[in-house]
Amino acid sequence: MGNLSDRRQFLKLLMGLGAGITFAGRPPVYNQTAATPDLAIAEGGSPAQTTRAALDAMGGMGRYISRGDIVLLKPNLSWDRVPEQAANTNPEVMRTLVELCYQAGAKKVKVFDNSINDARRCYVRSGIMEAVREAGADVYYVDERKFRTTNIGGEVLKQWSVYTEALEVDKLVNVPLAKHHNLCRLTIGMKNWIGLLGGNRGKLHQRIHQCIADLAGFFKPNLVVLDSVRILLRNGPQGGSLNDVKVLNMVVVGTDQVAIDSFAASLFGLQGSDVGYIKLAHERGLGSMELSNLQIKRIRL
Amino acid sequence: MRNFRRTSQIIFLLLFLWLLIQTEYHGKDIISYPVKVFLDFDPLILFSSLLAAHGIPPAFPMAMFWGLVLVGMTLLLGRFFCGWVCPLGTLHHFIGWLKNRKLPIKAKMERGRYRPSQRWKYLILIGLLVASVFTLQVVGLLDPLSLFIRSLALSINPAVNYLTRAGFNFLYFTDISMITAVSEPVYSFLKTFYLSFKQPFFQQSIFLGLIFLFIVGLNFYRHRYWCRYLCPLGALLGVLSRYTPLRLKVSKECTNCMVCVAGCEGGAEPHSTDSWRSAECVVCWNCVKSCPKGAVSFVIPTRRKKDAPYIDVGRRRLITSAVAGLAAVPLLRVGREYKGFNPELIRPPGALAEGEFLRRCVRCGECMKVCLTNAIHPALLEAGLEGLWTPMLVMKMGYCEYYCTLCGQVCPTGAIRKLPLEEKQKLHIGTAFIDKSRCIPYTLATNCIVCEEHCPTPKKAIWFEEVEVVNREGERVVVKQPRVDPQLCIGCGVCEYKCPVIDKPAIYVTSIGESRSPDNQLII
Repeated sequence: MGNLSDRRQFLKLLMGLGAGITFAGRPPVYNQTAATPDLAIAEGGSPAQTTRAALDAMGGMGRYISRGDIVLLKPNLSWDRVPEQAANTNPEVMRTLVELCYQAGAKKVKVFDNSINDARRCYVRSGIMEAVREAGADVYYVDERKFRTTNIGGEVLKQWSVYTEALEVDKLVNVPLAKHHNLCRLTIGMKNWIGLLGGNRGKLHQRIHQCIADLAGFFKPNLVVLDSVRILLRNGPQGGSLNDVKVLNMVVVGTDQVAIDSFAASLFGLQGSDVGYIKLAHERGLGSMELSNLQIKRIRL
Repeated sequence: MRNFRRTSQIIFLLLFLWLLIQTEYHGKDIISYPVKVFLDFDPLILFSSLLAAHGIPPAFPMAMFWGLVLVGMTLLLGRFFCGWVCPLGTLHHFIGWLKNRKLPIKAKMERGRYRPSQRWKYLILIGLLVASVFTLQVVGLLDPLSLFIRSLALSINPAVNYLTRAGFNFLYFTDISMITAVSEPVYSFLKTFYLSFKQPFFQQSIFLGLIFLFIVGLNFYRHRYWCRYLCPLGALLGVLSRYTPLRLKVSKECTNCMVCVAGCEGGAEPHSTDSWRSAECVVCWNCVKSCPKGAVSFVIPTRRKKDAPYIDVGRRRLITSAVAGLAAVPLLRVGREYKGFNPELIRPPGALAEGEFLRRCVRCGECMKVCLTNAIHPALLEAGLEGLWTPMLVMKMGYCEYYCTLCGQVCPTGAIRKLPLEEKQKLHIGTAFIDKSRCIPYTLATNCIVCEEHCPTPKKAIWFEEVEVVNREGERVVVKQPRVDPQLCIGCGVCEYKCPVIDKPAIYVTSIGESRSPDNQLII
């Protein structure tokens, strides 16, 4: 396996060089420039302030959202839980992102998720529906007609039922939160793509790490905003007890979904390589889990 | 007056249907307007509940006593409820009119006449009430409001939902923007204001639907067949109308043309003061309105000249009916359901202990209509014939949502208690068990954990034993084999519902451990 990994690294290097030559002058994705870090971590303020600070550090929303874009903000909106229980994405982070998208000139911001508990309850009790609606987003329940069997092209997931609307937007922004999960150890950003799938999703669990890595190869976010206002340490992914919640008042922004997940693992005292799908995604070249190689900008409010 | 009556009928029918549609979660934990208000005013349910409990049972919803208002009004005004308010009566009225309007006047008169078999409804009422006295309360099977709510909620509404969705889906998938530009906004409007959140499915829906359509179809045979011959609530209100001060009077101008009979809704013989039957009259005002001479009127006579016709049930029939009501009790209660416990009989959270539950539940189906996840279904024989159409949870169809207390809120009789959330979350409705011969970690030597992931209790009732097993390739692998802690498991069934072994879930809930039963317990 080591050889393969080396070969991947080498190919990646070649690709990077190729890209560097081809797109010289454009902001590169994996290279670092002084202006834009790979990850921006803001902490200490209100969810709104922290979100804004982290995005500012990444060059502002305008860097990722263009005028006239239709944007999907994909939260984790799985459970019939309130924000304090840290089972769903924080509603204030979502609200702020909707505002920033519109400020950046987005034409329309959509918010939806294929919830696990009754969607009506999840949308209401997570606080997300109210928050993003107030900010002007289109928030609605998934429509069963809009799932279509789609080629994922993964190693395990060749085909699966995907919510078509998620594939039709101009910009895809993943807004996960970080929680304990008994099978994966952690559920963060790459696992959040499961919320755009239909079908018998429980079946994915048999080969969960491969499936998540396959999804990370399929869904390419333009931006990832990790809500770490609260993280769920135990009894995830839905928790329930406030004793299992840790308040960090942190928001992390980046474009590398592997790096974001790897960083989130560090919040739990783990390394990216401790989590099967993060390691797998790294090996497949979908991003980098090596935090030491990344330029990380920290902001304290 | 007739137009007032028509307006009243339409308003109450629309109110009834609107309330039925509102009997669904709309983003608030508390349901503001369930259709239960109609049942609150139903004195048949009130009386049979009191009889079955031999008094006022504990935690009896006070709203049920609104039924006394209807009793009082009926004592004064007669069966106005049947003619002016009852939504099922209005439906029968309308269907009967569809048949009537094409008939020649002679045939109409024939359909309007009283028939001795209209006494059946009193016999049914007596049978039901006698059975209630002996603790067998099955009045809900035939109570018109229960019947209407149940039929609409469990069969007609799901069918209309299906049809609507199928129609709009067809238009949607034509993918012609000219069509979808119109159809999609209409569909989205219907989704907001009428359609159920998800297509509802109910076991037995076809039977409930056929019974309902049959009852409605009877109007083509005899006008308002249900109301005249079968309805036990109509019978009760009829008995109460016996001495109503509001009497029909036919004056001397009457030419015996019998036109009044042609329009009579109840078969109440309005063609003369003496023949008029107050117990059959639904005060519809058709006779008054249709009399070409204006000879028919409702009056409050100061002095009663002569007693109107009796409700001629007949002593023998009365005794037979009472005996039948009594005999039904032991006959129904020697089935196997009465010994031991049925594992499948999982009652909604807050359901009373089984005996008391059966004495309270009126099978209206409101809990089934309101259930968030479509988990509650009408029982067939799971609780014995006595428990026909009472609610039970089928976890393959849905599950009990941890933060939801809707079923107890809409139950009219308190058969399902209205629970505070904290109490509901601690209440056990059953216990989950793992079928190791189907469960993925046990059979495939691979991890799954879907049940544990969905387990809603803050300290999860499902835990893992990490076991090193050998797979077919001879490799040693460590898998997490799920186990259930029956102390913590509340039986909500989300594990069964979400289990990836979808045809016959590898984890399933049975009724043992249900808090409502001191005997159906597993742990000492």
